[in-house]
Amino acid sequence: MHCNRTVIALLLLTSSLGHAQDTTPSERETIQKLVQQVKELQEEVKLLESQRVSDANQSAVLQPVGGPAPEEEKAGSTERQSLAQELHELHGIQWRGFGEVDYKVLNQKTPELGTYGFVPGSSGNFYTGDFDLLLTSRINDKASVLSEIVFGEEDAQKFGVDLERVLFKYDYNDHLRMSFGRYQTGIGYYNTAFHSGSWLQTTADRPLIMEFANDGGPLPTQAVGVSVTGEIPSGKLGLNYIAEYGSSDTVRPDLNKTSIRDENNGNHVNFGLFVRPISIPGLQVGGSIYHDRISDFTRGPSVRLGQTIANVHLVYTAHGIEFLNEGFLIRHNYEQSSIVYNMPAFYSQVSKQFGRLRPFFRYQYINANPGSLFEDIALRQGPSFGARWDFNDNIAFKTQLDHTLRKGQPDLNGLHLQLAFTF
Amino acid sequence: MDNVQTRLAIALSIIWIAGTAFIPVCVAQTGDIAVAVNQKNPIDHLSTQEVRKIFAGEKRSWSAGSPIKLFVRAPGSRERVVLLKLLGMSETEYKRYWTAAVFRGDAQSEPVALFSNGMQKEAIGVYPGAVALVNAQDVKSGMKMVRVDGHMPGEAGYPFN
Repeated sequence: MHCNRTVIALLLLTSSLGHAQDTTPSERETIQKLVQQVKELQEEVKLLESQRVSDANQSAVLQPVGGPAPEEEKAGSTERQSLAQELHELHGIQWRGFGEVDYKVLNQKTPELGTYGFVPGSSGNFYTGDFDLLLTSRINDKASVLSEIVFGEEDAQKFGVDLERVLFKYDYNDHLRMSFGRYQTGIGYYNTAFHSGSWLQTTADRPLIMEFANDGGPLPTQAVGVSVTGEIPSGKLGLNYIAEYGSSDTVRPDLNKTSIRDENNGNHVNFGLFVRPISIPGLQVGGSIYHDRISDFTRGPSVRLGQTIANVHLVYTAHGIEFLNEGFLIRHNYEQSSIVYNMPAFYSQVSKQFGRLRPFFRYQYINANPGSLFEDIALRQGPSFGARWDFNDNIAFKTQLDHTLRKGQPDLNGLHLQLAFTF
Repeated sequence: MDNVQTRLAIALSIIWIAGTAFIPVCVAQTGDIAVAVNQKNPIDHLSTQEVRKIFAGEKRSWSAGSPIKLFVRAPGSRERVVLLKLLGMSETEYKRYWTAAVFRGDAQSEPVALFSNGMQKEAIGVYPGAVALVNAQDVKSGMKMVRVDGHMPGEAGYPFN
């Protein structure tokens, strides 16, 4: 269509020039003058264009690192506003919010997995989960700050504020990226891939092994310290590392909320390796090993034990497919005694996007020793299945059915509905 | 006399409109999509997988250590279609991917989406570490095309078209 228009334009030109050739000498002179003027104007435009390019290059050199370019400052205010909205930027601070409204019903009348507004005596309840505000700001080309503030629902519709993450990040290059502050420990995949925003995850809740410690999860999911990660030159293998040193200071409630356990952790060391093969985008295979020393106050005020957590994972997320698999071995080795507990756990989750619908299936398993710190978890396993429906790019509705087999207790069935959103 | 001037003015206007608006659009519908960087960037060649890693935010700095600044075209453009094909994502998955990347701290922000190749040209000229997918016919002064898998746009075997 556009090509045809161009051809028509050229034909019109030819016919116009044809007519122009039949004119008188005075008219020819006028035409020549006009043509000359057009040529001069064209040259002037070329000159202005080259000056503009030269200025742009000059300002790129003079521009302070990370600062806005003069050309950008000249952009129309409307365009800037729409871009700022798209980028969630306010005075150089990028922001993003996440929220959720949940309804969970269980076939038992005792609370499970923390409180979440659960009222004993009822079998189902609404709660708001986490309301999450993420703020990031670039300091210069290599340094930035990230903070994540969560307003979480506690008992009886009271809300607590938690600084989930606050990180000063420095990316020296692709091989050395450092973070200082409060981070989510790099034990395996899920904890670093999914944070507090429920909208990000396919399922309505996290696998129990990856549940946040303050919601009853057994692992030290958060810590304060230094985390270093980056690529190891390995060609097409895509080998990466993660190394962490810090204090996790885990305090976790029993799943039935009858008591709180302060693990009084010492400093931890965590090291992981994972590959992202260039030839298979979306595939990640790796493992990590974590170690710290914790207390068991149920056995005495000074009983300490070594905690080692090994992880292996295989993840594929591409072409609408999500396939997550992680295995764990938690080893508790009591000092000044021969007690050793080895507690295995795994989860496997698969989902596939069909338009706006993403059905999912997950199976999880934890086998905690009844005499261990995780006696409230004990042996539990079972499937979860459901679907996520994305109304648009910001709002999702999830339905999830859980069936959990528990050692020494009746099977537990649950229905979890969740409206998750980001803004 | 007036009649001649009017006809000449009309003819020149048509040429100008055709030259500035229609001809590039005509070419843009069929041309290869170039990986364009700032003219001062020493990078000359990349593999398809390296381009994918760059636009997925997995590779965040050039070999010299300078940070990569990503620019992408807004939805509805051919460059955007090529970008999504390269990443193996739908538009929704792309937005979710970047929201998650920012949330993880893997990226400070989603790549800046620009509404025209002219804006991409300006951006690439301004930021030394800039990279964008641009229709090869629209690569202008201040921009440099990078060889991908050993091929330049227009050559047989060039991957982005």
